Amino acid sequence: MSMEKSFSFSSYHFSAPPRHSRDKDSEASSSNRGHHQWKSSGGEEDLQPEDHDSILRVSEDVDRFLETSATTPPLLQVPDCIPQLAKILDSMVYRYNTGKRKFGKDEENDELFLAVVDRISKISAILSTFPCDPSAFDKTTFSLEKAMSFLEKHLCTILQDPKSSTASATPTTHYHGDFQSNSKPKPPKKSSSFDSLTQIQDELCSTCVLENLNHQVQNQDHDQDSSNSNQYFPAFPQHKVSLMNKIATAMIAAGYQTEYCVAFASFRRIAFKTALQEFGYASVGMEEIHKMQWEVLEGEIATWNNTVRHCVTVLFNGERKLYNSVFSNQQSIISQNLLSDLARAVIIHFLNYAQGVVLTLLTVEKLFKFLDMYETLRDVVEPAIANGGSYLERCKKELAQEIATTKIRIVESTVAMFRDLENSVKGDSERVPIPNGAVHPLTRYVVNYLEYACEYKETLEQVLRQCLHDDKKIELEQDEETPKKSYLGTRLMTIMDLLNLNLENKSMLYKDSALRWVFLMNNGRYIVQKVKGCKELHQCMGDDWCRKRQSWLKLYHKNYRKDTWSKVLQCLNPDGLQGNISVVSPKDNNKDKVSKQMLKDKFKSFNSTFEDIYKTQSSWVVSDEQLKSELRASIAALVIPAYRSFFGRFKHHLQSSRHVDKYIKYHPEDIEALIEELFDGIAKTLPKRRS
Amino acid sequence: MSATTDHLMSLRGNQVHSVVEGSSLEIELETFQRQVTLRFLELAAVGNDDLLSLSWIRKLLDFFILCQDEMRLIFFNHRAQVMKPPMDRIVSDFFERCVKALDLCNAVRDGIEQIKQWQRLMEIVLYALDQKNIIGEGQCRRAKKALSDLGNCMVDDKESGAYMALRNRSFGRNTTIKDHYQNLNHNSNYQHRSVGHFRSLSWSVSRNWSAAKQLQAIGNSLCPPKSNDLVATCGLAMPVYTMSSVLLFVMWALVAAIPCQDRRLSLHILIPRQFPWSAPLLSLHERILEDSKKRERKNACGLLREIQGIEKCVRGINELVDTLQFPLTEEKREVVGQRVEDLSHVYEALKDGLDPLERQVREVFHVIVRGRVGT
Repeated sequence: MSMEKSFSFSSYHFSAPPRHSRDKDSEASSSNRGHHQWKSSGGEEDLQPEDHDSILRVSEDVDRFLETSATTPPLLQVPDCIPQLAKILDSMVYRYNTGKRKFGKDEENDELFLAVVDRISKISAILSTFPCDPSAFDKTTFSLEKAMSFLEKHLCTILQDPKSSTASATPTTHYHGDFQSNSKPKPPKKSSSFDSLTQIQDELCSTCVLENLNHQVQNQDHDQDSSNSNQYFPAFPQHKVSLMNKIATAMIAAGYQTEYCVAFASFRRIAFKTALQEFGYASVGMEEIHKMQWEVLEGEIATWNNTVRHCVTVLFNGERKLYNSVFSNQQSIISQNLLSDLARAVIIHFLNYAQGVVLTLLTVEKLFKFLDMYETLRDVVEPAIANGGSYLERCKKELAQEIATTKIRIVESTVAMFRDLENSVKGDSERVPIPNGAVHPLTRYVVNYLEYACEYKETLEQVLRQCLHDDKKIELEQDEETPKKSYLGTRLMTIMDLLNLNLENKSMLYKDSALRWVFLMNNGRYIVQKVKGCKELHQCMGDDWCRKRQSWLKLYHKNYRKDTWSKVLQCLNPDGLQGNISVVSPKDNNKDKVSKQMLKDKFKSFNSTFEDIYKTQSSWVVSDEQLKSELRASIAALVIPAYRSFFGRFKHHLQSSRHVDKYIKYHPEDIEALIEELFDGIAKTLPKRRS
Repeated sequence: MSATTDHLMSLRGNQVHSVVEGSSLEIELETFQRQVTLRFLELAAVGNDDLLSLSWIRKLLDFFILCQDEMRLIFFNHRAQVMKPPMDRIVSDFFERCVKALDLCNAVRDGIEQIKQWQRLMEIVLYALDQKNIIGEGQCRRAKKALSDLGNCMVDDKESGAYMALRNRSFGRNTTIKDHYQNLNHNSNYQHRSVGHFRSLSWSVSRNWSAAKQLQAIGNSLCPPKSNDLVATCGLAMPVYTMSSVLLFVMWALVAAIPCQDRRLSLHILIPRQFPWSAPLLSLHERILEDSKKRERKNACGLLREIQGIEKCVRGINELVDTLQFPLTEEKREVVGQRVEDLSHVYEALKDGLDPLERQVREVFHVIVRGRVGT
């Protein structure tokens, strides 16, 4: 049975095929027939038993008629076979409509039916352009209309089958192209969430639980399982796809393309929406997004990313394959237009969501989620639209524009968030210093934030480059000495500088200058270690920066030693003692006495100075172990030799004195041990004096 | 340009700076008010036949976009002032209203999509009753079915319960075998094509969303700036109030014209008449309200002139088709031809006007979103 099409229309939209107008002269000859004449023609009462042979015979006659009318104008009187075939079609449709026969169950019957439909649609096309027997014309067109109604209805029944949007128990028997193996949705590579900057202040107020500020990586196994359920989307069994194909052929050949497309598009849209919902994606209004709590929205954005990926890589492909199969006999423009309309609606909807997110209050912790969306648009949606081939031709330009606009909005808000971070770092000023000179939460937050930002290094670089189309970009690019200056690097450098400035200001809050240096050392060390520990961040900041920061650390260290330990060393200065004690003049007892007294004072003041330092600085915090041992070693190297030599040289002068251990409280080893207890963050009382 | 002037002015020292800025701001604000007024006078000059036509709405949206851009420029030129309280609060209040308008933009785009579906049904009618062909009962049935679908689709949403009833009486007088078949066919739960599905086209708003409530929220506590706010903002509060009112009116007019979920139009726009732009705006509001109360427009799903055109044509053809006897007399043929011709005019107008309108509504959306990120 041939299924060739006799007419096809080039567009989904209305276009009238050029036909000859009816010859008015013939009007009079046909005016005496009313419409009642045929009214019973399709009546179920006189249903003919379906006899394949007679159908074939009538069909052959009709074919002959069609053949001759293709070359010569048809006769005014149409042959009997035509009303006969119309009658046959009527009874066939009646059987289907009443359920006496099922369409799509018996292929032979279906083919027979469709072949009759094909002939009738050809006949009615011919008769509608020629003056002929109006009764025959009415019969055929009415039969055709009934057949078309039935086919349209059946198409809707197939399309609205709920299984078409969900997985089937036996997916292998179902229609699916090779798209299922193509690509599973990739989860976003980074899935951490960041606390907000204001939370630092809260934590500062409470208990200073510093470690909490390290970013928390949440494992979000996001909806990976549910992707399986969509893997066979759209889940039409092969025979239904082929049925839809046959209906398309019949309806479009008969000029019912619009009816077909309207029904098809409506149902596919609903199925598509359902598929997205099953993937966990709920469409929400702009205002709703705007009002959403960040904790909730954060999760929604992750779902958005997954859904968009899945939709663009899997669902669109499945949809395209379905259309290709259903409209395989049609001009490709039909499926192109249908797909374009669908893709356009879906993608603009996704973009609206992203734009809604961008409109929420911009706070720094949102940056990474925004960048996730940016990456999805850039890496998944944009290429899919650009490489979508002809099937997205109609909406390609518009969508590219829409995506670009959305990306710009994300870029703008990214820049705003960076600005926000800078301002927060600049503006963060409290009146109370953090106890014991420890690493400030702000330092941790900012450095961890930047470390995390470096995971998005390339994206951020691109984003920051885009927003600098004005003066700054020119400035940066004209700088010949650093032709490849990184925008992100510049930005990070600024933030680090601001952080440093802020820390210096904070350090002024300490009354004890030594503690100030410890604070700066702690924070500086933390920053440098973090930068060196993160390859990306290190690259951004550069070796020079690290060297510079390390030299600052040395300076802090030096200043600390000076501020703390020079007064200790002063006590051990033998000047004024040396001459008098070593060269003891028997005549000058007075002098000897004074010297002894001086010696006693020196020991006493050493003891008390050291004890003070010990008491205070053992409670100071140096959390970096290496820095702590460096500091202790450096102190020991400074104090121990001086004390040892002072001790060795002068202790025998006092050995005869009463209460000698009031002056010589510590052996050099004691001092060494005590130095090892500095910076533990635990205020200590002095151990019992050695007996 | 403005950046350089700012720069120059700041070079001259603070005092000069503020004086110069003050007077330039005054001029900018005056120009803005004048522009808005002129535009609304132009819009109000429309004849009743063109009020809420596609071309008029496009002009309205054009003007909105221009005004919005002009306000942004003023804000940009005086951004330091804009960041300061109480202006920052006033701006963020305006922005809240704008976000609400975004949902309306999307709902209106869905509405336009809906009209495009009607267009397809009109295509079927035009195709079936094409004068180049002989029209028989078959063609007539096909057209009637599309017309009936069209009629059912075009019922305003608030009456969505009624469309079930409508659907069943589709071919009231001439019950034929085909209808009989349809009634007999209980196997299929699909009863009539597309009607139900046209309604669920919306991707943007939830089922219980209401355009009327959204409009109300935009207009909520909208009142002219108090004199102390005007002083404190150097007059910048005024364009914000003006734009809020314009936004409210534009959105209200869109909802009036285009099918939307729950588009009751009873919204009162309370704007004092003292502003030069408010008189034409309010008169437009009144005219549209009056139009909506006309008997034949009461249940319309949109006051867009072209929708009115569709309704008229559909009604005309429907009435005609019911009386047709086949074969057609030459006289009847001509009448049918005339009606179809009318329909094709409406169809062509929609075909040319809907896409640009849709793009413009999208542009309004973008303009609003852009307005926020900049500040």
